[in-house]
Amino acid sequence: MQTQNKIRIIFIFLLCCYNLVTSAQIKKDSATAITPTITFTYLNSNDTIILNANIFDKKEKGVFAIKNAVIEFFASGDKKTRNLGQAKADEEGNAVLKLPVAKGLPQDKDGKTTYTAKFNGKDKYRPALETFTAKFARITVNFSKEDSLRFILVTATQVDRKDAIKPIQKEKIIVYVPRLFNLLKIGETDLDVAGKGKVEYPGNLVGDSLGNIIVIARIEDNDVFGNVQGQSSISWGIPKQYYLAEKPTRELWTPIAPIWMIVTLIIMLTGVWAHYIYAVIQLIKIKQISKKKPDSSS
Amino acid sequence: MKDKNENKKSSRRQFLKKGLVAGAGMVAGGSLLAAYIDKSKPTSGEKVKVLTTEGELVEVDKSLIHSPRVSREESHKGIPGRKFVMVIDLAKCKNARKCVESCQKGHHLPSSQEFMKVYLLQDSEKSAPYWFPKPCFHCDNPLCVSVCPVGATYKRSDGIVLIDNERCIGCKFCMTGCPYSTRVFAWKDYPEYAEDKEPYSPEASSPGKEGTVSKCDFCPDLVRMGKLPYCAQNCPMGVIYFGDIDEDTVTNGAETFRFSELIRDRSGYRYLEVLGTRPSVYYLPPVERQFPVESGFNDLKESVKNRFKNTPYGKTHKL
Amino acid sequence: MENKDTKEKLLRQFAPQLEKVSSATLVWILFLLGVIGLGVYAFVTQVTKGHIVTGMRDNVVWGIYIVNFIFFMGMSYSGAIISGTLQLFRTEWRKPIIRMAEYLAIISLLIGPGYILLCIGRLDRLYYLALFGRIQSPITWDVIAISTDIFGCLIFLYLSILRDIASLRDFSELKIPAWRKKVYSMLALGYTGTPEQEKRLRRATDIMATMVIAIAIIVYSVLAWIFSVTLQPGWHSTIFGPYFVIAAVYSGTGVLIIAMWVFRKVYHLDQYITRKHFVAMGVLMVVLAALFGYFTFSDYLTKWYGSEKNDESLIRILFTEYYWPFIFSNYIGVLIPLLVVGIAKLRTITNITLSALVVIVALWFNRYLIVIPTLESPYLPIQDSRPDWVNYTGTWVEFSLMAAGVALFCLLFTLASKFVPVMNVSEMAEIPKPESSELFKAEESLL
Ligand code: SF4
Ligand code: SF4
Repeated sequence: MQTQNKIRIIFIFLLCCYNLVTSAQIKKDSATAITPTITFTYLNSNDTIILNANIFDKKEKGVFAIKNAVIEFFASGDKKTRNLGQAKADEEGNAVLKLPVAKGLPQDKDGKTTYTAKFNGKDKYRPALETFTAKFARITVNFSKEDSLRFILVTATQVDRKDAIKPIQKEKIIVYVPRLFNLLKIGETDLDVAGKGKVEYPGNLVGDSLGNIIVIARIEDNDVFGNVQGQSSISWGIPKQYYLAEKPTRELWTPIAPIWMIVTLIIMLTGVWAHYIYAVIQLIKIKQISKKKPDSSS
Repeated sequence: MKDKNENKKSSRRQFLKKGLVAGAGMVAGGSLLAAYIDKSKPTSGEKVKVLTTEGELVEVDKSLIHSPRVSREESHKGIPGRKFVMVIDLAKCKNARKCVESCQKGHHLPSSQEFMKVYLLQDSEKSAPYWFPKPCFHCDNPLCVSVCPVGATYKRSDGIVLIDNERCIGCKFCMTGCPYSTRVFAWKDYPEYAEDKEPYSPEASSPGKEGTVSKCDFCPDLVRMGKLPYCAQNCPMGVIYFGDIDEDTVTNGAETFRFSELIRDRSGYRYLEVLGTRPSVYYLPPVERQFPVESGFNDLKESVKNRFKNTPYGKTHKL
Repeated sequence: MENKDTKEKLLRQFAPQLEKVSSATLVWILFLLGVIGLGVYAFVTQVTKGHIVTGMRDNVVWGIYIVNFIFFMGMSYSGAIISGTLQLFRTEWRKPIIRMAEYLAIISLLIGPGYILLCIGRLDRLYYLALFGRIQSPITWDVIAISTDIFGCLIFLYLSILRDIASLRDFSELKIPAWRKKVYSMLALGYTGTPEQEKRLRRATDIMATMVIAIAIIVYSVLAWIFSVTLQPGWHSTIFGPYFVIAAVYSGTGVLIIAMWVFRKVYHLDQYITRKHFVAMGVLMVVLAALFGYFTFSDYLTKWYGSEKNDESLIRILFTEYYWPFIFSNYIGVLIPLLVVGIAKLRTITNITLSALVVIVALWFNRYLIVIPTLESPYLPIQDSRPDWVNYTGTWVEFSLMAAGVALFCLLFTLASKFVPVMNVSEMAEIPKPESSELFKAEESLL
């Protein structure tokens, strides 16, 4: 906790320095200068760390994302601070950075790393900064069948300073399956002392068209580990049924009409038009008769 | 301390909304929509989420996408392997009207056109009034589609009923065909239409066109980018859930439920089932309400408040 | 067989109308053109400013235009059914009025569809109906049916005027420009009345009479189905097809009686169109009034008795907001002709004509009450603070175009009567045959 505070102080100091440097420029439009807010989320997914800094400007009327803001990310431990790179915020103000390898990140004596998202200010926006501290952890998902019951087995481990692997004990694990927009929660459990947890697999989950389903186990909002997840796939899902065949059938609302309709229409139209044609033929005959007549009289 | 907890809660909601991002990257796979992606451009490093032809969500470089809107032909096909459904929780609605406003903004509509409407319903004299948000029901037996003489309104394989404003001749037959007063007509060329600079697509229902009909479209343009429709995204109460019924899941962004369980546990129903239109929108009855019905009159514009003057409730209460 | 002398006499009587336009007629025509001009202005306004200039809004999407559409189409079908039936049964009293019925059929058929076009938001895309037509849509049925009907009525009218045109061609006393003579002789197809020609003409006319009746019934039912296939309370009724057909014929008899009265006055036809004809048409009107009343009653009775929620609210609106129009169209409009024709003392030409006028107006309101109150009481209650969004009222644009339609109707009738006599001269000149063989002959020619 103390180290964390120390780092915070350092950063605040840095920030002050930065402010001094840029104050001249900001003063120009200090009346409109705005301090943006950053919400910083950390997710450790299958050994990839996803850092997402959402930068926005909180106004009375609501929240406005700061598009294209460049966010720099840092990782720091007791001694060193490493620059992780930078990312640009999208339409919704999300700047996302993915770190493929967790190894070699600076750590403090508890094995924790402090991540920082830093915005250097742009136009009318003042600089802003947010940090998050987490210890690297790993979750693996396995499956087992006992009699007629099926289970999801979760194992959670943490990596200590000396790269020693220890189980994570007594933490809450939530199990999800990914869906179109979001994750669907299917169960939760507490880890035992060996860092293991077991959740019964609910029977009637829909998978993809082949019945494959991805299961994700997560530790969420943890003071030590942040958000950690692991995932694995299994063919326990119910194969997804497609609601409509790609080729539309003949319905009232489809592009092609039901056959009886077409048949009725054709019968009626031919019936009527045949009579029309008959009437017109009579007219033509009348005309022909009149042409013949002068011939016969002459 | 309390403050901090609340902060945490809201950040959790934020995070879960972001769960979207994390979830998305992992289920990647399948080929991308050809119409969608322009490979000739250099990449920018910025990523956006799109649905593939297999209906899976993947991230691609933003610069590869020439327009997030699909062509008119493409819009007839529907997002493969999906069948969309909406669930509206009447117990949580307090007529905040954020669904209406965000939808109008998103579709570049004038204030006189509402794709989403919020009614104050009261089924009978002694029964309780409740707020009733009503989008298009995207019926599985859509009379509006049946009666269209030129096929300008159509139902896709993903269940969405769309209107092609470049095909519609404006006969308004569909408006009388729909029993739910869902459709709106462009009685003139509203200036708001011109605000939209992007090319027209039936999936976006924008820019609107004078003399044609439009309505709620379930925002397939947003869905293609892995986002919830405007109304579901913006409801502060989380009233509106949206999802894929074949996947048996609906979400309002913060909470995700199994559709079948939600309907079972909360006695979900469809409005006016007796008409046989087979809607794709389900309602959860207004039981154990979180807000009294009066709270729906707070901070309403006068013109909106006056709408309810003639309702049974409005006649007996001061609004 | 034709009686040459009667024919000459008749032609002589009609000659002045065909030869020149009197100053009174000219003023009349100019007045009509003025009204049509106003309609054109209204139409231009609607096209440039958008449909917002009409009284239609998102709930009441169909207004007076559609009412007029039903009304004019109804007159057309009525003209077709009346002329077809009279023709088939060789009714003796048909002769002076059958031509008017045929004119009625074709002229209102040319105007009616115009109103549905006024209601369409994108006239520039009208050809999509042919290009992308969907067979499932009742509008497509209507497009097909109306165009079939127009052809049928044109052929029928042509068959019926053929003999008169031939007579006009041969009538040497007629003082008309040479080009008109040429037109007559061209249109007459060299008809001289040989037995062979006469037989063929009769056969074709009978066939077309049958067709015209059948199509009129189908087409008007299709029009009714545009309403009754929807789920709207008040429209979703199985009775609508026959109901619309009866209402159509009913309104048409009214229009026909008025046309008879007008032409009798203007062209001094008192000796040909007599009280007998008015009474005959009056009786027809009464029969239809009874049928119309019966259908109206069954339709509303079942709705009221069952009183499903939405039917009930519709009926409540009809008996409150629309009380007088409702009483007028469905009570007075039925009872007046019953009384006037039913009571021998009241059965005068003027009275019958006046009751016909009442019938026409009542029937117009009847259609109004079918279209508008239903749209004002949808399943989901209208909740809107804008009064024009809640209740429909026609605007000057719609009323001007309605007036223009009526004016165009009168104009075309006037012009048609200037081209071919408003009475079937050749038929009038025919020597009546014993009645028994008449019917028999009609059947024979049908086979
Ligand atoms: S609610 Fe109305 S507009 Fe929407 S699909 Fe159903 S019938 Fe059509
Ligand atoms: S108004 Fe447009 S979409 Fe509706 S039925 Fe007519 S053509 Fe079809």
